[in-house]
Amino acid sequence: MSTAFAHPVTVWIVGATLGLLLLAAAVIGLLSVTGRASLALRRELWLRLGSWCILLPLMLGPVLLGRVWTIGAVTLLGLACLREYDRATGLFREYLIVGVVVLGILLVNFAALDHWYGFFVALWPLTVGVIAIASLPLDRPAGYVQRTALGIFAFMLFGAGLAHLGYMANDPGYRPIVLLLLTAVALNDVAAFTFGKLIGGRKLLPATSPNKTLSGALGALLTTSVVVALLAGAIFAGTPMEHPALLLLFGAIVSIAGQCGDLMLSSIKRDLGIKDMGVLLPGHGGVLDRFNSLLLVAPAAFHFIHYSVGIGLEAPARLITGGG
Amino acid sequence: MEFRLRPARDLGLAPGERLRSHAREAGLGSQVLRSLWRGGVGAYLRLAHRLEVTGRENLPATPPFVLIANHCSHLDTLALGSILQGEAGRRAHALAAGDVFFRTGATALFAAYAVNALPVWRKRTRAGEIATLRERLVEDRLVYILFPEGTRSRDGTMAPFQPGIGTLVAGLPVPVVPCRLEGCHAAWPADRRLPRPGKVRLTIGRPLDFSGLPNARAGWVEAAAACEAAVKALG
Repeated sequence: MSTAFAHPVTVWIVGATLGLLLLAAAVIGLLSVTGRASLALRRELWLRLGSWCILLPLMLGPVLLGRVWTIGAVTLLGLACLREYDRATGLFREYLIVGVVVLGILLVNFAALDHWYGFFVALWPLTVGVIAIASLPLDRPAGYVQRTALGIFAFMLFGAGLAHLGYMANDPGYRPIVLLLLTAVALNDVAAFTFGKLIGGRKLLPATSPNKTLSGALGALLTTSVVVALLAGAIFAGTPMEHPALLLLFGAIVSIAGQCGDLMLSSIKRDLGIKDMGVLLPGHGGVLDRFNSLLLVAPAAFHFIHYSVGIGLEAPARLITGGG
Repeated sequence: MEFRLRPARDLGLAPGERLRSHAREAGLGSQVLRSLWRGGVGAYLRLAHRLEVTGRENLPATPPFVLIANHCSHLDTLALGSILQGEAGRRAHALAAGDVFFRTGATALFAAYAVNALPVWRKRTRAGEIATLRERLVEDRLVYILFPEGTRSRDGTMAPFQPGIGTLVAGLPVPVVPCRLEGCHAAWPADRRLPRPGKVRLTIGRPLDFSGLPNARAGWVEAAAACEAAVKALG
Protein backbone atom coordinates (compact mmCIF):
# COMPACT_ATOMS: atom_id res chain seq x y z
CA MET A 1 0.00 0.00 0.00
CA SER A 2 2.77 2.39 0.96
CA THR A 3 4.61 1.61 -2.32
CA ALA A 4 1.46 2.05 -4.39
CA PHE A 5 0.85 5.52 -3.00
CA ALA A 6 4.51 6.46 -2.54
CA HIS A 7 4.34 9.37 -4.97
CA PRO A 8 2.14 12.36 -4.10
CA VAL A 9 0.90 12.61 -7.74
CA THR A 10 -0.53 9.07 -7.40
CA VAL A 11 -2.45 10.18 -4.33
CA TRP A 12 -3.65 13.37 -6.07
CA ILE A 13 -4.87 11.53 -9.17
CA VAL A 14 -6.64 8.71 -7.32
CA GLY A 15 -8.12 11.22 -4.86
CA ALA A 16 -9.29 13.56 -7.63
CA THR A 17 -10.83 10.64 -9.55
CA LEU A 18 -12.75 9.40 -6.50
CA GLY A 19 -13.80 12.98 -5.74
CA LEU A 20 -15.10 13.46 -9.28
CA LEU A 21 -17.12 10.23 -9.10
CA LEU A 22 -18.70 11.33 -5.82
CA LEU A 23 -19.38 14.80 -7.21
CA ALA A 24 -20.97 13.34 -10.34
CA ALA A 25 -23.15 11.03 -8.21
CA ALA A 26 -24.19 14.01 -6.06
CA VAL A 27 -25.07 16.14 -9.12
CA ILE A 28 -27.04 13.37 -10.80
CA GLY A 29 -28.72 12.60 -7.47
CA LEU A 30 -29.69 16.27 -7.15
CA LEU A 31 -31.05 16.28 -10.71
CA SER A 32 -33.08 13.18 -9.85
CA VAL A 33 -34.46 14.59 -6.58
CA THR A 34 -35.38 17.97 -8.03
CA GLY A 35 -36.65 16.40 -11.26
CA ARG A 36 -34.70 18.96 -13.31
CA ALA A 37 -33.57 16.50 -15.98
CA SER A 38 -35.75 14.20 -18.05
CA LEU A 39 -36.06 10.58 -16.98
CA ALA A 40 -34.24 9.40 -20.10
CA LEU A 41 -31.30 11.75 -19.49
CA ARG A 42 -31.09 10.75 -15.82
CA ARG A 43 -31.06 7.06 -16.76
CA GLU A 44 -28.32 7.70 -19.31
CA LEU A 45 -26.27 9.64 -16.75
CA TRP A 46 -26.64 6.93 -14.06
CA LEU A 47 -25.73 4.29 -16.64
CA ARG A 48 -22.57 6.15 -17.61
CA LEU A 49 -21.63 6.73 -13.98
CA GLY A 50 -22.26 3.06 -13.22
CA SER A 51 -19.97 2.05 -16.07
CA TRP A 52 -17.27 4.40 -14.77
CA CYS A 53 -17.61 2.92 -11.26
CA ILE A 54 -16.73 -0.51 -12.68
CA LEU A 55 -14.26 0.74 -15.28
CA LEU A 56 -12.14 3.01 -13.07
CA PRO A 57 -11.15 0.32 -10.52
CA LEU A 58 -10.33 -1.97 -13.47
CA MET A 59 -8.13 0.78 -14.99
CA LEU A 60 -6.49 2.25 -11.89
CA GLY A 61 -6.45 -0.94 -9.77
CA PRO A 62 -3.86 -2.90 -11.81
CA VAL A 63 -1.59 0.16 -11.99
CA LEU A 64 -1.66 0.52 -8.22
CA LEU A 65 -1.24 -3.23 -7.65
CA GLY A 66 2.04 -3.50 -9.54
CA ARG A 67 4.05 -4.14 -12.69
CA VAL A 68 2.74 -7.62 -13.53
CA TRP A 69 -0.88 -6.53 -12.99
CA THR A 70 -0.40 -3.48 -15.19
CA ILE A 71 1.09 -5.47 -18.08
CA GLY A 72 -1.59 -8.16 -17.64
CA ALA A 73 -4.35 -5.55 -17.81
CA VAL A 74 -2.82 -3.95 -20.93
CA THR A 75 -2.64 -7.40 -22.57
CA LEU A 76 -6.32 -8.06 -21.85
CA LEU A 77 -7.23 -4.57 -23.07
CA GLY A 78 -5.33 -5.19 -26.33
CA LEU A 79 -7.13 -8.50 -26.88
CA ALA A 80 -10.52 -6.93 -26.09
CA CYS A 81 -9.81 -4.10 -28.57
CA LEU A 82 -8.76 -6.65 -31.21
CA ARG A 83 -11.97 -8.63 -30.72
CA GLU A 84 -14.13 -5.56 -31.25
CA TYR A 85 -12.10 -4.36 -34.20
CA ASP A 86 -11.97 -7.71 -35.98
CA ARG A 87 -15.73 -8.20 -35.63
CA ALA A 88 -16.44 -4.68 -36.86
CA THR A 89 -14.13 -4.89 -39.87
CA GLY A 90 -14.87 -8.53 -40.72
CA LEU A 91 -11.23 -9.54 -40.12
CA PHE A 92 -12.53 -12.11 -37.58
CA ARG A 93 -13.39 -14.43 -40.48
CA GLU A 94 -9.66 -14.73 -41.24
CA TYR A 95 -8.74 -17.08 -38.40
CA LEU A 96 -5.13 -17.39 -39.47
CA ILE A 97 -4.45 -13.65 -39.51
CA VAL A 98 -6.32 -13.10 -36.24
CA GLY A 99 -4.32 -15.96 -34.70
CA VAL A 100 -1.03 -14.29 -35.68
CA VAL A 101 -2.21 -10.92 -34.35
CA VAL A 102 -3.22 -12.55 -31.03
CA LEU A 103 0.18 -14.22 -30.85
CA GLY A 104 1.87 -10.89 -31.65
CA ILE A 105 -0.07 -9.12 -28.89
CA LEU A 106 0.83 -11.83 -26.39
CA LEU A 107 4.51 -11.79 -27.40
CA VAL A 108 4.95 -8.03 -27.36
CA ASN A 109 3.39 -7.91 -23.88
CA PHE A 110 5.61 -10.81 -22.84
CA ALA A 111 8.61 -8.75 -23.97
CA ALA A 112 7.31 -5.94 -21.76
CA LEU A 113 6.90 -8.35 -18.85
CA ASP A 114 10.40 -9.69 -19.42
CA HIS A 115 11.72 -6.11 -19.65
CA TRP A 116 13.56 -6.99 -22.87
CA TYR A 117 13.53 -3.87 -25.02
CA GLY A 118 15.43 -5.47 -27.92
CA PHE A 119 12.76 -8.17 -28.34
CA PHE A 120 9.96 -5.64 -27.74
CA VAL A 121 11.21 -3.55 -30.67
CA ALA A 122 12.13 -6.53 -32.89
CA LEU A 123 8.59 -7.88 -32.67
CA TRP A 124 7.08 -4.96 -34.58
CA PRO A 125 8.59 -5.68 -38.01
CA LEU A 126 8.78 -9.41 -37.38
CA THR A 127 5.08 -9.75 -36.56
CA VAL A 128 4.19 -7.57 -39.54
CA GLY A 129 6.25 -9.94 -41.68
CA VAL A 130 4.50 -13.01 -40.28
CA ILE A 131 1.08 -11.41 -40.86
CA ALA A 132 2.10 -10.69 -44.44
CA ILE A 133 3.07 -14.31 -45.13
CA ALA A 134 0.56 -16.11 -42.85
CA SER A 135 -2.20 -16.39 -45.45
CA LEU A 136 0.03 -17.20 -48.43
CA PRO A 137 -0.32 -21.00 -48.01
CA LEU A 138 -4.11 -20.62 -48.40
CA ASP A 139 -3.42 -19.84 -52.07
CA ARG A 140 -6.27 -17.33 -51.98
CA PRO A 141 -4.91 -14.05 -53.41
CA ALA A 142 -8.38 -12.47 -53.52
CA GLY A 143 -8.62 -10.14 -50.51
CA TYR A 144 -4.91 -10.55 -49.65
CA VAL A 145 -4.19 -6.82 -49.34
CA GLN A 146 -7.33 -6.26 -47.27
CA ARG A 147 -6.77 -9.03 -44.71
CA THR A 148 -3.04 -8.33 -44.42
CA ALA A 149 -3.57 -4.58 -44.02
CA LEU A 150 -6.33 -5.06 -41.44
CA GLY A 151 -4.12 -7.49 -39.52
CA ILE A 152 -1.08 -5.18 -39.50
CA PHE A 153 -3.21 -2.19 -38.46
CA ALA A 154 -4.64 -4.26 -35.59
CA PHE A 155 -1.25 -5.48 -34.37
CA MET A 156 0.34 -2.03 -34.59
CA LEU A 157 -2.49 -0.40 -32.61
CA PHE A 158 -3.49 -3.02 -30.02
CA GLY A 159 -0.19 -4.85 -29.77
CA ALA A 160 2.88 -2.76 -30.53
CA GLY A 161 1.26 0.60 -29.69
CA LEU A 162 -0.72 -0.24 -26.59
CA ALA A 163 2.01 -2.45 -25.08
CA HIS A 164 4.08 0.72 -24.51
CA LEU A 165 1.70 1.53 -21.68
CA GLY A 166 2.54 -1.74 -19.95
CA TYR A 167 6.25 -1.43 -20.75
CA MET A 168 6.37 1.79 -18.70
CA ALA A 169 5.65 -0.33 -15.61
CA ASN A 170 9.27 -1.51 -15.80
CA ASP A 171 10.26 1.85 -14.35
CA PRO A 172 10.02 1.80 -10.55
CA GLY A 173 8.34 5.21 -10.67
CA TYR A 174 5.74 4.24 -13.31
CA ARG A 175 2.58 4.60 -11.23
CA PRO A 176 2.04 8.37 -11.36
CA ILE A 177 3.06 8.48 -15.07
CA VAL A 178 0.64 5.73 -16.19
CA LEU A 179 -2.15 7.08 -13.99
CA LEU A 180 -1.51 10.53 -15.45
CA LEU A 181 -1.86 9.19 -19.01
CA LEU A 182 -5.01 7.21 -18.19
CA THR A 183 -6.73 10.16 -16.59
CA ALA A 184 -5.35 12.79 -18.98
CA VAL A 185 -7.01 11.16 -22.01
CA ALA A 186 -10.32 11.15 -20.11
CA LEU A 187 -9.81 14.80 -19.15
CA ASN A 188 -8.98 15.53 -22.80
CA ASP A 189 -12.34 14.04 -23.90
CA VAL A 190 -14.29 15.88 -21.23
CA ALA A 191 -12.53 19.20 -21.98
CA ALA A 192 -13.20 18.87 -25.74
CA PHE A 193 -16.86 18.14 -25.03
CA THR A 194 -17.22 21.00 -22.55
CA PHE A 195 -15.46 23.67 -24.65
CA GLY A 196 -17.36 22.50 -27.71
CA LYS A 197 -20.68 22.91 -25.89
CA LEU A 198 -19.76 26.23 -24.26
CA ILE A 199 -18.19 27.95 -27.27
CA GLY A 200 -19.39 25.93 -30.26
CA GLY A 201 -18.49 27.39 -33.64
CA ARG A 202 -16.76 25.78 -36.56
CA LYS A 203 -16.84 22.01 -36.87
CA LEU A 204 -13.45 20.28 -36.73
CA LEU A 205 -13.93 17.48 -39.29
CA PRO A 206 -17.68 17.32 -39.93
CA ALA A 207 -17.61 14.30 -42.24
CA THR A 208 -15.57 12.28 -39.75
CA SER A 209 -17.20 13.31 -36.50
CA PRO A 210 -20.09 15.79 -36.79
CA ASN A 211 -20.15 16.68 -33.06
CA LYS A 212 -16.53 17.79 -32.68
CA THR A 213 -15.72 21.50 -32.90
CA LEU A 214 -12.51 23.42 -33.43
CA SER A 215 -13.11 25.26 -30.15
CA GLY A 216 -13.45 21.93 -28.36
CA ALA A 217 -10.21 20.65 -29.85
CA LEU A 218 -8.28 23.82 -28.93
CA GLY A 219 -9.87 24.00 -25.48
CA ALA A 220 -8.85 20.40 -24.83
CA LEU A 221 -5.34 21.08 -26.14
CA LEU A 222 -4.98 24.02 -23.76
CA THR A 223 -6.52 22.33 -20.70
CA THR A 224 -4.78 18.98 -21.07
CA SER A 225 -1.39 20.54 -21.90
CA VAL A 226 -1.47 22.71 -18.79
CA VAL A 227 -2.82 20.03 -16.40
CA VAL A 228 -0.41 17.39 -17.70
CA ALA A 229 2.51 19.84 -17.60
CA LEU A 230 1.76 20.74 -13.97
CA LEU A 231 1.43 17.12 -12.81
CA ALA A 232 4.36 15.94 -14.95
CA GLY A 233 6.39 18.78 -13.41
CA ALA A 234 5.86 17.16 -10.01
CA ILE A 235 6.66 13.68 -11.39
CA PHE A 236 9.80 14.64 -13.35
CA ALA A 237 11.22 17.17 -10.87
CA GLY A 238 15.01 17.01 -10.88
CA THR A 239 15.22 15.32 -14.30
CA PRO A 240 16.04 16.76 -17.75
CA MET A 241 12.28 16.88 -18.41
CA GLU A 242 11.78 19.49 -15.69
CA HIS A 243 11.94 22.36 -18.23
CA PRO A 244 8.51 24.06 -18.62
CA ALA A 245 8.71 23.99 -22.44
CA LEU A 246 9.35 20.25 -22.43
CA LEU A 247 6.53 19.67 -19.94
CA LEU A 248 4.10 21.70 -22.03
CA LEU A 249 5.23 19.87 -25.17
CA PHE A 250 4.62 16.57 -23.35
CA GLY A 251 1.11 17.74 -22.40
CA ALA A 252 0.42 18.85 -25.98
CA ILE A 253 1.59 15.46 -27.31
CA VAL A 254 -0.80 13.68 -24.93
CA SER A 255 -3.69 15.93 -25.99
CA ILE A 256 -3.03 15.78 -29.74
CA ALA A 257 -2.37 12.03 -29.79
CA GLY A 258 -5.50 11.49 -27.71
CA GLN A 259 -7.68 13.54 -30.04
CA CYS A 260 -6.16 11.89 -33.10
CA GLY A 261 -6.91 8.46 -31.62
CA ASP A 262 -10.51 9.55 -31.20
CA LEU A 263 -10.73 10.82 -34.79
CA MET A 264 -9.04 7.66 -36.04
CA LEU A 265 -11.74 5.49 -34.47
CA SER A 266 -14.43 7.85 -35.80
CA SER A 267 -12.99 7.36 -39.29
CA ILE A 268 -13.02 3.59 -38.88
CA LYS A 269 -16.64 3.67 -37.72
CA ARG A 270 -17.73 6.04 -40.50
CA ASP A 271 -16.00 3.90 -43.08
CA LEU A 272 -17.81 0.82 -41.73
CA GLY A 273 -21.11 2.64 -41.29
CA ILE A 274 -21.52 1.72 -37.61
CA LYS A 275 -22.19 3.89 -34.55
CA ASP A 276 -20.43 2.01 -31.75
CA MET A 277 -17.73 -0.63 -31.87
CA GLY A 278 -19.45 -2.81 -29.27
CA VAL A 279 -21.95 -3.01 -26.43
CA LEU A 280 -19.71 -4.04 -23.53
CA LEU A 281 -19.82 -0.75 -21.62
CA PRO A 282 -23.37 0.58 -21.15
CA GLY A 283 -23.48 4.30 -21.91
CA HIS A 284 -20.07 4.25 -23.64
CA GLY A 285 -20.38 1.63 -26.38
CA GLY A 286 -17.49 -0.77 -26.78
CA VAL A 287 -14.04 -0.99 -25.21
CA LEU A 288 -12.55 0.81 -28.22
CA ASP A 289 -15.05 3.66 -27.93
CA ARG A 290 -13.64 4.26 -24.45
CA PHE A 291 -9.94 3.54 -25.00
CA ASN A 292 -9.40 4.86 -28.55
CA SER A 293 -7.46 7.90 -27.30
CA LEU A 294 -4.98 5.75 -25.44
CA LEU A 295 -3.89 3.83 -28.55
CA LEU A 296 -1.73 6.64 -29.92
CA VAL A 297 -0.96 8.31 -26.59
CA ALA A 298 0.80 5.22 -25.20
CA PRO A 299 3.66 5.04 -27.76
CA ALA A 300 3.91 8.83 -28.21
CA ALA A 301 4.21 9.52 -24.47
CA PHE A 302 6.50 6.52 -23.96
CA HIS A 303 9.06 7.63 -26.52
CA PHE A 304 8.96 11.25 -25.40
CA ILE A 305 9.81 10.17 -21.85
CA HIS A 306 12.23 7.53 -23.13
CA TYR A 307 14.25 10.10 -25.11
CA SER A 308 14.09 12.74 -22.39
CA VAL A 309 14.85 10.78 -19.22
CA GLY A 310 14.73 7.07 -20.08
CA ILE A 311 12.33 4.40 -18.82
CA GLY A 312 13.40 1.66 -16.45
CA LEU A 313 17.10 2.29 -17.10
CA GLU A 314 18.09 1.22 -13.59
CA ALA A 315 15.64 -1.69 -13.36
CA PRO A 316 16.89 -5.25 -14.00
CA ALA A 317 16.27 -6.44 -17.59
CA ARG A 318 15.28 -9.83 -19.08
CA LEU A 319 13.67 -10.94 -15.85
CA ILE A 320 12.20 -14.15 -17.33
CA THR A 321 14.53 -15.07 -20.20
CA GLY A 322 17.65 -14.17 -18.26
CA GLY A 323 20.88 -12.99 -19.85
CA GLY A 324 20.20 -9.32 -19.10
CA MET B 1 -9.33 -2.37 -55.83
CA GLU B 2 -11.66 -1.46 -53.03
CA PHE B 3 -11.87 -3.08 -49.61
CA ARG B 4 -15.03 -5.05 -48.94
CA LEU B 5 -15.49 -4.59 -45.24
CA ARG B 6 -18.22 -6.83 -43.87
CA PRO B 7 -18.86 -6.33 -40.16
CA ALA B 8 -20.02 -9.37 -38.18
CA ARG B 9 -23.71 -10.01 -38.75
CA ASP B 10 -24.25 -10.04 -34.99
CA LEU B 11 -22.47 -6.70 -34.37
CA GLY B 12 -24.18 -4.58 -31.73
CA LEU B 13 -26.17 -7.42 -30.14
CA ALA B 14 -26.04 -7.76 -26.34
CA PRO B 15 -24.24 -10.97 -25.23
CA GLY B 16 -27.42 -12.93 -24.30
CA GLU B 17 -29.20 -11.79 -27.42
CA ARG B 18 -26.21 -12.77 -29.55
CA LEU B 19 -26.14 -16.33 -28.20
CA ARG B 20 -29.72 -16.85 -29.40
CA SER B 21 -29.37 -14.96 -32.66
CA HIS B 22 -29.42 -16.54 -36.10
CA ALA B 23 -26.88 -13.89 -37.05
CA ARG B 24 -24.25 -15.25 -34.63
CA GLU B 25 -20.87 -15.70 -36.31
CA ALA B 26 -18.02 -17.55 -34.62
CA GLY B 27 -14.62 -15.93 -34.16
CA LEU B 28 -11.24 -17.52 -33.47
CA GLY B 29 -11.95 -17.94 -29.74
CA SER B 30 -15.20 -19.82 -30.36
CA GLN B 31 -13.51 -22.01 -32.95
CA VAL B 32 -10.72 -22.95 -30.54
CA LEU B 33 -13.27 -23.87 -27.84
CA ARG B 34 -15.30 -25.86 -30.36
CA SER B 35 -12.33 -27.75 -31.73
CA LEU B 36 -11.50 -28.87 -28.18
CA TRP B 37 -15.12 -29.99 -27.69
CA ARG B 38 -15.16 -31.73 -31.08
CA GLY B 39 -11.94 -33.56 -30.28
CA GLY B 40 -13.41 -34.83 -27.01
CA VAL B 41 -16.70 -35.84 -28.67
CA GLY B 42 -14.87 -37.65 -31.48
CA ALA B 43 -12.83 -39.67 -28.98
CA TYR B 44 -15.95 -40.46 -26.92
CA LEU B 45 -17.91 -41.65 -29.97
CA ARG B 46 -15.03 -43.89 -31.04
CA LEU B 47 -14.47 -45.38 -27.59
CA ALA B 48 -17.96 -45.65 -26.11
CA HIS B 49 -20.00 -46.15 -29.29
CA ARG B 50 -17.47 -47.61 -31.76
CA LEU B 51 -18.96 -45.20 -34.31
CA GLU B 52 -18.92 -46.76 -37.77
CA VAL B 53 -19.37 -44.47 -40.77
CA THR B 54 -20.14 -45.65 -44.29
CA GLY B 55 -20.58 -43.54 -47.40
CA ARG B 56 -18.14 -40.74 -46.54
CA GLU B 57 -17.51 -40.32 -50.28
CA ASN B 58 -21.06 -38.91 -50.56
CA LEU B 59 -20.18 -35.83 -48.49
CA PRO B 60 -19.73 -32.75 -50.72
CA ALA B 61 -16.11 -31.60 -50.85
CA THR B 62 -16.89 -28.05 -49.71
CA PRO B 63 -19.75 -26.21 -48.00
CA PRO B 64 -22.52 -25.22 -48.27
CA PHE B 65 -24.61 -28.33 -47.70
CA VAL B 66 -27.25 -29.65 -45.32
CA LEU B 67 -27.01 -32.90 -43.34
CA ILE B 68 -30.30 -34.52 -42.33
CA ALA B 69 -30.99 -37.74 -40.44
CA ASN B 70 -33.51 -39.65 -38.38
CA HIS B 71 -33.60 -38.43 -34.77
CA CYS B 72 -33.61 -40.64 -31.66
CA SER B 73 -31.17 -39.06 -29.21
CA HIS B 74 -28.85 -36.20 -28.39
CA LEU B 75 -26.03 -38.40 -29.73
CA ASP B 76 -27.33 -37.80 -33.26
CA THR B 77 -26.05 -34.22 -33.53
CA LEU B 78 -22.69 -35.21 -32.08
CA ALA B 79 -22.34 -38.15 -34.50
CA LEU B 80 -23.23 -36.08 -37.57
CA GLY B 81 -20.98 -33.22 -36.44
CA SER B 82 -18.05 -35.58 -35.92
CA ILE B 83 -17.86 -36.60 -39.59
CA LEU B 84 -17.26 -33.03 -40.76
CA GLN B 85 -13.63 -32.09 -41.22
CA GLY B 86 -11.78 -28.82 -41.81
CA GLU B 87 -13.79 -26.01 -43.36
CA ALA B 88 -17.08 -27.94 -43.19
CA GLY B 89 -16.51 -28.62 -39.49
CA ARG B 90 -15.81 -24.95 -38.79
CA ARG B 91 -18.88 -23.80 -40.70
CA ALA B 92 -21.30 -26.38 -39.26
CA HIS B 93 -24.33 -25.26 -37.28
CA ALA B 94 -26.76 -27.67 -35.67
CA LEU B 95 -30.32 -26.37 -35.80
CA ALA B 96 -31.52 -27.13 -32.28
CA ALA B 97 -34.82 -26.75 -30.45
CA GLY B 98 -34.80 -23.30 -28.86
CA ASP B 99 -37.08 -24.39 -26.00
CA VAL B 100 -34.62 -27.14 -24.99
CA PHE B 101 -31.17 -25.73 -25.74
CA PHE B 102 -31.61 -21.97 -25.48
CA ARG B 103 -33.97 -21.70 -22.52
CA THR B 104 -31.44 -20.72 -19.84
CA GLY B 105 -28.21 -18.76 -20.12
CA ALA B 106 -26.07 -21.80 -19.23
CA THR B 107 -27.62 -24.12 -21.82
CA ALA B 108 -27.51 -21.36 -24.43
CA LEU B 109 -23.78 -20.83 -23.71
CA PHE B 110 -23.15 -24.54 -24.15
CA ALA B 111 -25.30 -24.81 -27.26
CA ALA B 112 -23.70 -21.76 -28.86
CA TYR B 113 -20.05 -22.33 -28.01
CA ALA B 114 -19.72 -26.14 -27.96
CA VAL B 115 -22.26 -27.29 -30.54
CA ASN B 116 -22.44 -24.01 -32.51
CA ALA B 117 -26.21 -24.48 -32.52
CA LEU B 118 -28.72 -22.02 -33.92
CA PRO B 119 -32.13 -22.03 -32.24
CA VAL B 120 -35.30 -23.16 -33.97
CA TRP B 121 -38.42 -22.10 -32.10
CA ARG B 122 -40.81 -24.94 -32.86
CA LYS B 123 -44.28 -23.99 -34.05
CA ARG B 124 -43.45 -20.28 -33.91
CA THR B 125 -40.64 -19.86 -36.39
CA ARG B 126 -41.04 -16.54 -38.20
CA ALA B 127 -40.67 -16.15 -41.96
CA GLY B 128 -37.83 -13.67 -41.38
CA GLU B 129 -35.85 -16.25 -39.43
CA ILE B 130 -36.17 -18.81 -42.24
CA ALA B 131 -35.08 -16.13 -44.71
CA THR B 132 -31.99 -15.37 -42.60
CA LEU B 133 -31.10 -19.06 -42.34
CA ARG B 134 -31.47 -19.50 -46.13
CA GLU B 135 -29.43 -16.38 -46.85
CA ARG B 136 -26.63 -17.37 -44.49
CA LEU B 137 -26.52 -20.95 -45.80
CA VAL B 138 -25.60 -19.67 -49.26
CA GLU B 139 -23.71 -16.41 -48.55
CA ASP B 140 -21.66 -17.65 -45.58
CA ARG B 141 -21.31 -21.13 -47.11
CA LEU B 142 -22.49 -22.94 -44.00
CA VAL B 143 -23.31 -26.54 -43.14
CA TYR B 144 -26.60 -27.14 -41.33
CA ILE B 145 -27.24 -30.29 -39.33
CA LEU B 146 -30.94 -30.87 -38.74
CA PHE B 147 -33.52 -33.49 -37.99
CA PRO B 148 -36.66 -32.98 -40.06
CA GLU B 149 -38.84 -35.12 -37.75
CA GLY B 150 -38.83 -32.10 -35.46
CA THR B 151 -38.26 -34.04 -32.24
CA ARG B 152 -36.56 -37.16 -30.93
CA SER B 153 -38.39 -40.43 -31.57
CA ARG B 154 -39.60 -41.94 -28.30
CA ASP B 155 -39.56 -45.57 -29.55
CA GLY B 156 -36.80 -45.51 -32.16
CA THR B 157 -39.09 -45.54 -35.21
CA MET B 158 -38.84 -42.67 -37.67
CA ALA B 159 -41.71 -40.15 -37.67
CA PRO B 160 -42.88 -38.31 -40.83
CA PHE B 161 -40.65 -35.39 -41.84
CA GLN B 162 -42.00 -31.86 -41.26
CA PRO B 163 -42.04 -29.48 -44.24
CA GLY B 164 -39.59 -27.23 -42.32
CA ILE B 165 -36.62 -28.81 -44.12
CA GLY B 166 -38.24 -27.79 -47.41
CA THR B 167 -38.57 -24.15 -46.35
CA LEU B 168 -34.80 -24.06 -45.81
CA VAL B 169 -33.62 -25.65 -49.04
CA ALA B 170 -36.33 -25.50 -51.74
CA GLY B 171 -35.00 -23.53 -54.70
CA LEU B 172 -31.45 -23.24 -53.34
CA PRO B 173 -28.40 -24.67 -55.12
CA VAL B 174 -27.37 -26.42 -51.89
CA PRO B 175 -27.10 -30.24 -51.70
CA VAL B 176 -28.98 -32.04 -48.94
CA VAL B 177 -27.19 -35.14 -47.68
CA PRO B 178 -29.46 -37.81 -46.20
CA CYS B 179 -28.00 -39.84 -43.34
CA ARG B 180 -29.25 -42.80 -41.36
CA LEU B 181 -28.32 -43.40 -37.74
CA GLU B 182 -28.66 -46.79 -36.05
CA GLY B 183 -28.00 -47.64 -32.43
CA CYS B 184 -28.58 -44.15 -31.03
CA HIS B 185 -31.97 -45.00 -29.59
CA ALA B 186 -30.56 -47.97 -27.66
CA ALA B 187 -27.57 -45.92 -26.48
CA TRP B 188 -29.48 -42.85 -25.33
CA PRO B 189 -33.27 -43.11 -25.41
CA ALA B 190 -35.20 -39.90 -24.77
CA ASP B 191 -36.17 -40.97 -21.25
CA ARG B 192 -32.57 -41.47 -20.03
CA ARG B 193 -30.59 -38.63 -18.52
CA LEU B 194 -27.23 -39.93 -19.74
CA PRO B 195 -26.08 -42.19 -22.60
CA ARG B 196 -24.81 -45.74 -22.14
CA PRO B 197 -22.12 -47.39 -24.30
CA GLY B 198 -23.37 -49.14 -27.42
CA LYS B 199 -22.57 -49.51 -31.12
CA VAL B 200 -23.66 -46.60 -33.37
CA ARG B 201 -23.72 -46.84 -37.17
CA LEU B 202 -23.99 -43.86 -39.52
CA THR B 203 -24.74 -44.30 -43.20
CA ILE B 204 -24.32 -41.31 -45.51
CA GLY B 205 -26.44 -41.30 -48.66
CA ARG B 206 -26.06 -39.53 -52.01
CA PRO B 207 -26.81 -35.80 -51.97
CA LEU B 208 -30.25 -34.57 -53.06
CA ASP B 209 -30.77 -31.48 -55.20
CA PHE B 210 -33.78 -29.23 -54.61
CA SER B 211 -32.64 -26.23 -56.63
CA GLY B 212 -35.43 -26.80 -59.16
CA LEU B 213 -38.24 -26.75 -56.61
CA PRO B 214 -40.33 -23.62 -55.99
CA ASN B 215 -39.80 -21.92 -52.64
CA ALA B 216 -43.50 -22.31 -51.77
CA ARG B 217 -45.75 -24.76 -49.96
CA ALA B 218 -45.74 -27.34 -52.79
CA GLY B 219 -41.93 -27.25 -53.04
CA TRP B 220 -41.47 -27.53 -49.27
CA VAL B 221 -43.74 -30.57 -49.01
CA GLU B 222 -42.09 -32.25 -52.01
CA ALA B 223 -38.60 -31.66 -50.60
CA ALA B 224 -39.61 -33.02 -47.19
CA ALA B 225 -41.12 -36.14 -48.78
CA ALA B 226 -38.01 -36.72 -50.90
CA CYS B 227 -35.77 -36.31 -47.83
CA GLU B 228 -37.88 -38.74 -45.81
CA ALA B 229 -37.80 -41.34 -48.60
CA ALA B 230 -34.03 -40.94 -49.00
CA VAL B 231 -33.34 -41.42 -45.26
CA LYS B 232 -35.74 -44.39 -45.12
CA ALA B 233 -34.01 -45.98 -48.12
CA LEU B 234 -30.73 -46.01 -46.18
CA GLY B 235 -32.24 -48.16 -43.41
